[in-house]
Formats: sequence, structure tokens, C-alpha cells
Amino acid sequence: MLRRSFTAVLEKNAVFDGDFATEPYEVGWASEARFFVRVRELSEGARLLCRPQISPDGLFWCDEGAEGVSIAAPGLYSFAVREFGNWLRLDCPLDGRAKLLIYLALK
Amino acid sequence: MSIANYNPLRRVLFHDDFDQGINGWCELVGNHGGDLDRIRPAVADLRPPQLSSCTFFDIGTHGALDGTYSLKLATRKKAGHQAVAIKRLTSQARGLVQFETWFTFKAEQQFGEDLADWDGNQDPSEANFGDITFSNDICEPGGGPRYMFALRYRNADADGRLVQRWLYKTSLHTTTKMAVAGREIEHTDIHVRDPRDWVEVPGGHQPLCFNEVATKVNWHYLRWLYDTKARRNVELQVNDRTLNLRNIPVPFYPETYEGLPNLLNFLVDVRTVRDVRNFLFFDSIVVSVDW
Repeated sequence: MLRRSFTAVLEKNAVFDGDFATEPYEVGWASEARFFVRVRELSEGARLLCRPQISPDGLFWCDEGAEGVSIAAPGLYSFAVREFGNWLRLDCPLDGRAKLLIYLALK
Repeated sequence: MSIANYNPLRRVLFHDDFDQGINGWCELVGNHGGDLDRIRPAVADLRPPQLSSCTFFDIGTHGALDGTYSLKLATRKKAGHQAVAIKRLTSQARGLVQFETWFTFKAEQQFGEDLADWDGNQDPSEANFGDITFSNDICEPGGGPRYMFALRYRNADADGRLVQRWLYKTSLHTTTKMAVAGREIEHTDIHVRDPRDWVEVPGGHQPLCFNEVATKVNWHYLRWLYDTKARRNVELQVNDRTLNLRNIPVPFYPETYEGLPNLLNFLVDVRTVRDVRNFLFFDSIVVSVDW
């Protein structure tokens, strides 16, 4: 049997004006995950952090521990996570305004 | 998984066991022509489906009817938000099509709710679950006719009053072609021009088994039969109830649609009417035909 893989578009061309978190996403079937953040627009001087968080239940969250990415310009960014349990999301402090897509590629 | 807990017509088009993966159920998105800024707000954020183990904060993993995983749709915690998954096929003939599934539904657990009137039986979270909708998208060769059947189970309204009725729609889903032409833009419900455009199926009152808390799931059997030759619904069975749908009116699109000959799409969705995430789970889905 081939390994299963699935890519979820967690945010699609969304615009944020401050801190946000992605929706809870169940990943218990997967053993590896990779986030892609495609920033289409970022306001002058803005900084966006994207760091992974994990949860036992999709309700209460803590930092996974990885640094994630720090973004100061439009472009495509990525990082991988492993041993994350059943739920993943991104916690995204944002100082400014951003228009972006966020993908979660699971395998 | 065995097909023994289904009652398919003679030819099974697909039997999707979500322990085996996502099986072609993907997020619906509005047409955009390559420019995401052109997607209408109502069809821009219909959420990626998930493979869920039905894991909850109090009991851990519930699992599915069979095995561990189910297909899960989850809304945002925003009234009017809808999560929609679609599976896309084409047809080889016109005739009977039967959609069967084992499904369940929940609103996200809330904390700190007023329990002064709680009787230990009826949970506050039951009032937080809005709508489940089963629908399709059919287009015959030669530009049409195109039509979409839709059946909705309204569990509760925006004020938290239990409705528990099956409904059918009375207006068209706004297509991108209609929107570009400046016609009938939908509000927050992808199926209809106005979220109020739903009418009760005769005899459609049917309480489902919510089972007292936000973390117990009971799987329900559903069988929806329709006829693409007669272009009408036939019947809907959910557990011990079967509703006659033969006289339900079907809205048809007046314009022609190119590039869609023999279109046969299946859609499932969940819509919250309060600022609480709503979840819809499918253990498995079977579609069969008589052609």
C-alpha cells in the first residue's frame, strides 16, 4: 500500500491585521507534516511569526517547540514538524497587515 | 470495511472507507480564473476536510463506526460559516442514484455555559449545532439542463431553539457565471440566494440522536435516492424514517453551461448558525446506481 498524503489549505488568500491562529486540524494519521506559508502582501515594516502549536483535544494548545519561521517580506516559507500527536495549528503573531496562503502537507 | 451495513443498488460507483484515506473528497472553492481575489466571499473559505479519529478532551479517541478514521468537516466559530466537501464524477447514463452514509455530528465543546436550567439530559451544546446539508450538482450534455438537489437537516436555529427538521431549497445556488453576470449573489449559504430559502419536507420533523454531551457520537444511517432520468428526488431514509421526496420541486438553471457534460458531483456540508464550531463526520459513504 502506498503511503497516504494530504495537503490542506488552512488559509486561502486571507487578510489579517494582527495576531491570529489557524483553525485546529487533525493530523493523528500522519507521521510528518510540513507547513508552507505563501505571503502575497505584507505591509511596510510588518513582521509575521508562524510557529507550530499542538493540542491533545483541539481545544487547549501549547507550543510544539520548533521556532517556525519569521517573515519580513512577501515570499514562500516552509518548515517541517514531527511527533505532533493528533492536532496541529500555527500560532501567528503579526505586527502589521498580511495577505497570505497557508498549506499543511501531511504524509 | 464490509459493505454489509449498506443497501446499495446493483452497481456501486464508489465505497469510501475513510480508514483508507480521503477518497477524493476535497474542499469546494468558487471559480477564480487564476485570480484568488475574484472568489466570492461565500465560496472562498469552505475549509479543507480532515481525517478524524473523533478525539475529545474527556474520553480521548472515540474512533469511527468501523476502524479509527472518519471524514470530518469543521466550520469556523463564526455564525453563518459553512464547511463543504465535494467528490466529482461523471455519469454514463441517467437513472437512479443512491447516496448512502453512516454519519454523526457535534458542536464544539464550550466551557462556562449557564447550567442553571440543565436537567442532566439535554446538553447546551445541542443548541449550538446548526445545519447538515446533502446535495449534488448535475449537468446533462449539450449545456444542460443543470440542477442541484439539496436536502438540509436543521438541528437548531440561531437562537438555539431546536428545529430538527429536513428541509429542501427553493432558490438556486449562485454559480460564478451568474455572479459575473450580476445576478442573484448569495449571502452566507452556498446553496441558496437567501439563507431563508428553505422549506420543510412534508413530514420532515425527525429528532436525531445527539446523546446528551458534545463528546459522544452515535452513527446514523442515511440513504438518499434520486433519479437523474426523471430529474427529481425519490426518497430519503434516515434510520427508521423514510420521507417521500417525489413531489419536491427542483430549481433548474435557465442558462446553459459549457464544459460540464455528464457532471455528477456529490457534496456534503455543515453550517453553523452561532459563533461555535460545528463538526460533521462520515464513517463511510457508498454511492450506487441502477445503470
